[in-house]
Amino acid sequence: MRNTGILALNVIKDTARRKLFYVVFLFGVAVVAVSPLLPAFELGIRPQFLKDISLSLTSLFGVVLAVVLSVNQVPGEVEGRTIYNILSKPVSRLEYLLGKYLGILADLAIILVIMGLEILVLVSTRAHAASPVIFQGVFTVFLECAIIAAFCLFLSTFATAPVNVFTTILFYLLCHVKTDFLHKTLVEGTNGFLKVLAWPAYYLLPNLENYNISQQVGYSNGVPAGYLLRVSGYAVLFVVIFLVLGYLVFRRKDI
Amino acid sequence: MTDTAVALENITKSYRSGFSRERKTAVEGLSLEVKSGEIFGLLGPNGAGKTTTLKILLGVIFPDHGIGWVLGMPLGDRAMHYRLGFLPEQPYFYGFLTAEKGLDLYGKFFGLKREERASRSAKLLDMVGLRRGSHLTLDKYSKGMLQRFGIAQALINDPELLIMDEPSSGLDPVGQKEVRDILVRLKEDGKTIFLSSHQLSEVENICDSVSIVNRGRPVRQGMLSELLAVEGTTKVVLSGAVTAARGRFIALARHVEETNGDTVLEVGSNDVYRVLDLARELGLELVSVEPSRQTLEDLFMEAIR
Repeated sequence: MRNTGILALNVIKDTARRKLFYVVFLFGVAVVAVSPLLPAFELGIRPQFLKDISLSLTSLFGVVLAVVLSVNQVPGEVEGRTIYNILSKPVSRLEYLLGKYLGILADLAIILVIMGLEILVLVSTRAHAASPVIFQGVFTVFLECAIIAAFCLFLSTFATAPVNVFTTILFYLLCHVKTDFLHKTLVEGTNGFLKVLAWPAYYLLPNLENYNISQQVGYSNGVPAGYLLRVSGYAVLFVVIFLVLGYLVFRRKDI
Repeated sequence: MTDTAVALENITKSYRSGFSRERKTAVEGLSLEVKSGEIFGLLGPNGAGKTTTLKILLGVIFPDHGIGWVLGMPLGDRAMHYRLGFLPEQPYFYGFLTAEKGLDLYGKFFGLKREERASRSAKLLDMVGLRRGSHLTLDKYSKGMLQRFGIAQALINDPELLIMDEPSSGLDPVGQKEVRDILVRLKEDGKTIFLSSHQLSEVENICDSVSIVNRGRPVRQGMLSELLAVEGTTKVVLSGAVTAARGRFIALARHVEETNGDTVLEVGSNDVYRVLDLARELGLELVSVEPSRQTLEDLFMEAIR
């Protein structure tokens, strides 16, 4: 597994070279730009709103970043032929895929932690309220991004980038409407065809709404530790499933 | 050390083209054997299946049929990768790394210690003439420099077997000569080299044995000296012109030609002594007597026709 670490570090270096880490500055600007639009801004920003909107933006940035980081890791290396110099060395395909994934996770962790700190500073200075609980929200965004990245990396072992991006967006949306729209379609729907389509999506896809705790972080004292533990396990389960599927495709793939 | 470095038996590989169910055969029934310590050349026109064969050896693609061994291990065995080096055609590397960092990265995959990686990198960069450019990132390298770096990275683990796809690609004549010299030196060090090349003169100069493939099938293979030898014909070279006795030599030889002031005769093996007797009788100095050889280009063109 030594090679996994080497490859993960290489992904981080490549992200730095592509200047993707600059997204944190963009995020800071976005949060500062959005905060004057909040209700009752003129009366003084309410920390609840600020936390809520900042976490929603974190989620949006995180998910976009997870897709951007994952979609081209494998196809980019195949197209650029750099993969031959890796797989001709004593690097197994499992190590290769895991290294790529862990590198993406590390990138996401670095970026999300900086975003969390930005929110903390913003809430402290603008609303005069220190809210370390914000990191609960950042953590669940990270878990959500980890699932999205694993799904996207799995698709990247066989799908082209445009197909991958489209499918991942669809996956993201379905996973968010799972308990609402899909559930209603299954329970109350009358269209048999839609029910057939909704069934696998409802039962097989992860419920990403589990990771949307911006309301709890914004308007209360966050969520209990047990909840975080449960959703972490849930995320690990889906990450493992997608990585195993990715490996099963990749292990005998002609490159 | 086993005597055979690479062996392929009846390898077949086909690809599906696009969404069509039809498959295009890249390699069909390829068998070959490369002895340890030799330079082996895989030749063929574009699309003959050379790169596919190399990729099968490396385990990055998988044959439909057939079996093979590399350094005594079955194809795809991860352990073989510790003992081989690979130079891809038109090599691409992580452009954000310098040559030193790149070699360091590739060295890590073999579990080499930091000091060992540093000393090997320095030695290899010297060998391929990149010491002065080692601080530049690889995206600033010319095609020739990348090729040199490719050779260096292929040697970072001091491999027993080198697999090289067009090792002289992108190099100027001086660079090509330097690469040839490096390959010969590596052979002298006991390494086995498996290369594919379009450069017939390069192959003719350095390879011990070759396999010529065409449309995925092997059409000629064996020791180069045997393949190029023209059976039953001997080349006799005499110093000076034989103008006066030309008619007598023409009667004995299949072909008489004057080149660079010498006379070159292609003689049937049964007539060699008669030609030598005639030369002695006429007081002509003998330069050499050797089996006639055709050029690799002649052999190649005939084989792929």
